[in-house]
Amino acid sequence: MAKKLMKGCEAIAEAAIQAGCRYFFGYPITPQNDIPEYMSLRLPQVGGCFLQAESELAAINMVYGAGGAGARVMTSSSSPGISLKQEGISTIAGAEVPCVIVNMMRGGPGLGNIQASQGDYFQAVKGGGHGDYRSIVIAPSSIQETVDIMPHAFDLADEYRIPVIILADGLIGQMMEPVELHMNPNPTMPEKPWAAQGWDPKGTRPRAVINSLYIETEDLDGLMTRLNARYDVIREKEVMVEKYHTEGAEYILCAYGTVARVCKAAVRILEENGIKAGLVRPITLWPFPTKEVRDVFAQESVKAGLTVEISNGQMVEDIRLAVNGIKPVEYMGKGGSIIPAAEDIAERIMQMRRA
Amino acid sequence: MKEYWVLLGAFGSGKSELALNMAIRAAKHGPCTLVDLDVINPYFRTSERGDVLTPAGVELIMPPFALDKIEILSLSARVYSAFTPGEGSVFFDIGGDHVGSVALGQYKPQFERVPKENLHVLFILNPMRPTAADLESAYATLEKIQFVSRLRVTGIVNNGNLAGETDYTHLLEGYELAKALSERTGIPVWGTCGLQSVLDDFDAYAKAHGLDEAYIGVRQPVDVYMHRSWDKFLKEGL
Repeated sequence: MAKKLMKGCEAIAEAAIQAGCRYFFGYPITPQNDIPEYMSLRLPQVGGCFLQAESELAAINMVYGAGGAGARVMTSSSSPGISLKQEGISTIAGAEVPCVIVNMMRGGPGLGNIQASQGDYFQAVKGGGHGDYRSIVIAPSSIQETVDIMPHAFDLADEYRIPVIILADGLIGQMMEPVELHMNPNPTMPEKPWAAQGWDPKGTRPRAVINSLYIETEDLDGLMTRLNARYDVIREKEVMVEKYHTEGAEYILCAYGTVARVCKAAVRILEENGIKAGLVRPITLWPFPTKEVRDVFAQESVKAGLTVEISNGQMVEDIRLAVNGIKPVEYMGKGGSIIPAAEDIAERIMQMRRA
Repeated sequence: MKEYWVLLGAFGSGKSELALNMAIRAAKHGPCTLVDLDVINPYFRTSERGDVLTPAGVELIMPPFALDKIEILSLSARVYSAFTPGEGSVFFDIGGDHVGSVALGQYKPQFERVPKENLHVLFILNPMRPTAADLESAYATLEKIQFVSRLRVTGIVNNGNLAGETDYTHLLEGYELAKALSERTGIPVWGTCGLQSVLDDFDAYAKAHGLDEAYIGVRQPVDVYMHRSWDKFLKEGL
C-alpha cells in the first residue's frame, strides 16, 4: 500500500485494527484523544465495538472483560489516565489476560502538562500497579515503527497472556509522518482455549475461569512460579534493541522514543567533528536489553555513556545496572517536557571529552 | 482596505504551514496579521513560531493560553482587532476539519462587513491524508466546514504532500482531486503549493502532459517552518 501522511494516534489505531483488534474502551485525555476518536469511527465499520467508558477505571475493567473472553482489545490514555488504570492492569496481569495498552506520555506528576514527556518509565517498566508482575513495554521511535510493531504487540500479549504497554511520548501521537500501513482484512487469531466464552453443559469444554484471586498460599505460589517462568522466557526471547553506529564508538548515547531520533542527529554532529559516537536504543524497555547494552559498553573503544531522557532520569538507572560500573554513564535531560536539542547533546559529549 | 485570507481544510492538510508562508511573504508588502484560531491541536501550532513571525514583521494573535499548554483554548478578544479598518493583510489559521472550523462561526458578523473581493476563503487539499484521499470525503469535509464556519469557500488549494518525502507525483494526485472537487462544486482552484523544487518538477510535468492551467492556478512556493530538527534523519529509515 502506498504511503499516507498520518498522525501517530490515527496510525496506531488503524494498525491495531489491522492486527485484529476489534474492541476499544477508553476515556478522553490529551494528547491521545485522536486514538479513541479514530476508533469510534473505524471499529463499527469492521464489526467491532468502541465504547467511551465513564472513567479510566471502567475502561480498563472492560478491557479485562473483553480480553478474558478472548478478544483482541486495546485501551489508550495519557499519563494521569494510565495512573488511574493501574489497579486494573495489575488485575489483568494476575488473571493472565492479554491486552494492549497505549500510553501517550505527557508531563507530570499530577496533572502536569499536555506536552511530550518520558516520565512514566518507572511506572510502566517497574510495575505501576501493586504486586509481583511484569508488563511487556515497547517504546517506538517513529510512527512507521509503531505501525510495524502493533501486530507483534498483540501477538506477544496473546502468546504470553500478558499486558503489553506501548510507551510513547506525546510527540509520537501528535506528529504527522509518511507511513505505510499493512492492510490485513482477515488477521489470524491464535486459539485461546483458556478464554471464558460460555460453558457448554454437555461438557465438551472445561469451565474457564478468569480470576486474579488466589487465597491459598500454595495456589498463589503456583501463579507466581508460572508467571516467573514465563517472564524468563520473555527476557530470553523478546528483547528488541537498535544499535546505531556503536561499533568502535568512543561515546555511547542511550535513549528511547523520540529522543533517540534527536540523539541520532547528535551522533551525526559528533561524527562531523571527528568524534566517534553511537546510540543504543532499547525498543523493548521490559524486557530490557541488558546484555546488548553491556556488550556495547564492554568494547575497548568506549570511554563513557550518556543517557538522554525527557524525564528527571529514569532509564539511566537500568542503563547503569546493565553497564555495571565498567564505564561511567552520565544523564542529561529535563522533566518538564523540554526536548533536548541535538546540538546540546553533542556539546555535552564534547564537554565529557574535554574533562 | 485589508485583504482577508481564511485557510480551512481537513486535519493535516497543511493549513498552518501555508498560513505561515503566506503571512511572511505578505509582511514584505505591508502590515500583516496572523490569527491562530486553532482550538484543536495541542502540538505543532503556528503560535509556536513567534520566533520566525515576529522578526518577519507579522503580528501574531493567538489564543491567550496557547503557549501555557492549557488544554481548553479560548479565543482572544484581540481577534476583533483584525477586523478594524486599515491596510495590509490578515491571515486566519483554523483547526482541522469542521470541528476546528467551528471557531470561525462567531465572526460571521465581522466577515459579512468585508467586501467580497477582499475575502479569500481557501480550502486546502492534501490527498495523501487518508481522511481526505478521495472526492467524496473531500466534498463531505468541504460541506461540513462551510456549514459550521458560516463562510463560503472561494478557492481550492492543491497542497498534495507527504511531508519530507514529497515529490511532484503527490501534487499530481492533488491536481486530480482539486479538479474533480472544482468540477463538482464550481469553486475555482486558487493555487498549487509546495517546495520550489517540487513545484518546478510539477510544472515541467504539467507542460509536457498538457494539464489544464485553470486547475493549477497560482504557484505558491513554501518553505518549511513547522519542521522538527530530526526530520532530516528520516531518510535513514527510522
